[in-house]
Amino acid sequence: MAERHPYIEVRDLVYRYPDGTLALRGISLDIYDGDFIALIGQNGSGKTTLAKCLNGLFKPTSGDVIVEGLNTKNTSITNIAKRAGYVFQNPDHQLFNNNVWDEIAYGPRNLQLPGGEVQARVEETAQVVGLDEKYFTEHPFFLPKGLRQRVAIASILALQPKAIIVDEPTTGQDIKQSLDIMDFLLDLHREQGHIIIIITHDMPIVAQYAKRVIALGLGEILVDGPTRDVFAQPDVLAKTFVAPPQITRLAQRTQHLGFDPHTLTVSEMMEQFQRLIPGQWLGQ
Amino acid sequence: MNKTILGYVPEESPIYRTHPFVRVFFLLVVSLFPMCIAAPEWNFILVILVILLMRYSRIDLATLRFYVPVSMSMGSIILISYILVSGHHPEFIQLASLGPIRIYFERIRDAIVVYLRVLPMIFITVFFLSTSRERDIIVAMRSIRVPFVITYLTAMALRAAGMVMEDFSIVRQAEQARGYDPVGKPIAYKLKQWVMYMVPLFALSLRRADEFSNALVARGYNFTGVLKAPKRADYVLTHYRFHASDAAIIILLSGALVALMVLRYRYGYFTLEGSLTSALLHRWLLR
Amino acid sequence: MAIVEFRDYTWKYSRTKEPALKNINLKVEEGTFVGIIGPNGAGKTTLAYSINGLIPNQYYGVRQGAVYVLDKEVKQYRSDELTKLVGMVFSDPEAQFTAMTVEDELVFGMENLGMGVPEIRERLDWVVPLTKIGPLVEKPPYEVSGGQKARVALAAVLAMTPRIMVLDEPTSMLDPISRITLFEVLGELKHKQSNTIIVVEHSLEHLIPLADRMVLLYNGEIVLDDETEPFFEQMETILEHDAYPPEALRFFYEIGQKGYYQGPLPFTVEEAAQKLEALWQGGE
Repeated sequence: MAERHPYIEVRDLVYRYPDGTLALRGISLDIYDGDFIALIGQNGSGKTTLAKCLNGLFKPTSGDVIVEGLNTKNTSITNIAKRAGYVFQNPDHQLFNNNVWDEIAYGPRNLQLPGGEVQARVEETAQVVGLDEKYFTEHPFFLPKGLRQRVAIASILALQPKAIIVDEPTTGQDIKQSLDIMDFLLDLHREQGHIIIIITHDMPIVAQYAKRVIALGLGEILVDGPTRDVFAQPDVLAKTFVAPPQITRLAQRTQHLGFDPHTLTVSEMMEQFQRLIPGQWLGQ
Repeated sequence: MNKTILGYVPEESPIYRTHPFVRVFFLLVVSLFPMCIAAPEWNFILVILVILLMRYSRIDLATLRFYVPVSMSMGSIILISYILVSGHHPEFIQLASLGPIRIYFERIRDAIVVYLRVLPMIFITVFFLSTSRERDIIVAMRSIRVPFVITYLTAMALRAAGMVMEDFSIVRQAEQARGYDPVGKPIAYKLKQWVMYMVPLFALSLRRADEFSNALVARGYNFTGVLKAPKRADYVLTHYRFHASDAAIIILLSGALVALMVLRYRYGYFTLEGSLTSALLHRWLLR
Repeated sequence: MAIVEFRDYTWKYSRTKEPALKNINLKVEEGTFVGIIGPNGAGKTTLAYSINGLIPNQYYGVRQGAVYVLDKEVKQYRSDELTKLVGMVFSDPEAQFTAMTVEDELVFGMENLGMGVPEIRERLDWVVPLTKIGPLVEKPPYEVSGGQKARVALAAVLAMTPRIMVLDEPTSMLDPISRITLFEVLGELKHKQSNTIIVVEHSLEHLIPLADRMVLLYNGEIVLDDETEPFFEQMETILEHDAYPPEALRFFYEIGQKGYYQGPLPFTVEEAAQKLEALWQGGE
């Protein structure tokens, strides 16, 4: 494999909140082009803190976060935000304009882009996100939750960051909506080449979409690796209050029958079943 | 550690032996002391006494460092406003003049008096907020039978303030995450951005209010008016008892207030004219 | 005895064009555990709110038909009478905290109902161990973990000993292991007490082992209403209406479709594993 330079480097990151709480105790990791990462862990494990360090909102207490060669300690947040965007869990926290158009334009305007460019970005982003023009004049507060979330994502996309961190994209959504938003993020990943990092509790979604899983516990990385490998270690995961998806657990429970503990989806289970079922059971 | 409104107090602090009502009483009554005392040096002694009381209650005095710049800016503001609003008073002693503004000795002296009256009140409030939890305020109010509605509203207001501050900081982060950079921008720009805070803060509060009112209904809370409220068990009061020491403190504080008033208005103690500060000011400024 | 009954019930919020619920006919027997599922917007929350009187008392809209709780129509109850009968737990634990410490939170509802100190003490001694929140009693409710918050909210409502408990997506904001502990508490409640429990949920894995009955809502109408086992035999209908059964169950449905398996569908990983083992040995 050719030597790849990471897009984001994190070295011994320690973060302590002003009130003294130690949230991150020395995190080191590399994020590469082409990554689709799920950041998992119990509430309070430091996931959101880590995400905010990655996009420059929080400056490390010690250690370094380097985004595309720029160290967050001595680069303005604006410059980092152009490279790593962060979408808050509650869209209400980040919708401050009176209409959707201005909301999406807010970022580009802050970057002091010329008017024509701003308009182009708004229209382009709205299209990518699936926001119809008719919503441009609506007030974000009155839109249903799913649409508000799309506006929030669009407002970050308009800055055209390479890496996008989405905090809890599927919480509160039903399964179909969750799949919609994840398909959309997958699209951004495949078609537009963005690095996607999601913070989530939804293990079946992680199993289906994420290529790499980083599990945090009490401010440290407990495990960091390809999705399959991570879910095959339920005891490590338990330390961070996470259980693998149900189908994975079933496969792990029936390993003695030949099922692979790395199974991630129902169809994989199905395929194995048809291969493994003892011969006399063909047919009824 | 116990988390209070303004900080943390170790659980073994002696302050917890007092009933919350006593702490509220302290806040209200001792805040009146500076009103009876005009002589600045006595008010200064009061500030020292409050700080000693904080020490005794094991409050982390390092948190007081936060209030030093606050106190200093406040002092400067008071001094400057008193000087600027000088007016034309030939009966005063003029020390100097800055264009149309005349700097009078009496104004400076009055500014010092006011400042030394406000300072103890600030410290007393800080003392109270550093040793009390929201729950203590509810307990204090209910123990003297303040109607539950008012008590509850006060508590919720305190909590709401906390939540709004938290929201505010998150919204601030959200703005920054979208490239908002106030460094080097004109005031008009900064003002416009400040107004933008209102939108999400309102949105969040409205949604929260909606959910909160549903929660109140689900817990059976019925507002039937301040006077007609049914009797509540006030279970929380069962954790607290009035001791003889509480009664003693209340009597002591009330007595002190009465004594101060008598000494001041009947016998002329603690006045400005007879004060040490006044003498010192005369010597330094009116040579 | 049907403790809750909907008869031709229709509700339309004043701010929407379509009714949220259309001609609902549903009976809930006393002491049963009912799960209500369906995509977002199907009307699940509206249904829940119609049982405890939030609808129509706190929301504007047009109401047709009737909702009976214990043979009396919801509109004819005084607000406090209905609250004594129907307890409601909302999905966001933080949004429903009404007090400054966990203990005060538990006591608030009881005081509102006019209970005296000895009774309050008795109820506390019962509800605190049941929901396993003993060590948290002196803490402010927003300082405890997500799963603990949910149990505090549950305990606060249980302390009022309603005959009917309605929970609106109680685990949507929780991490996977907190979900398990919450449902464990609900399981104990089901087996030790005689409350009627109605749970609206997306996450079915923990719900279906406990549910006696399942109801599928779609677009304001009841599509399926049956005991749990026969309910899941109608998998086609369930899938058509955007409801996703747990993976292990889905897997067994699929192998059943292919002719490998005939028999009741498993509701837990353990059941599924045992059935697989049985298949390997040539059973079924």
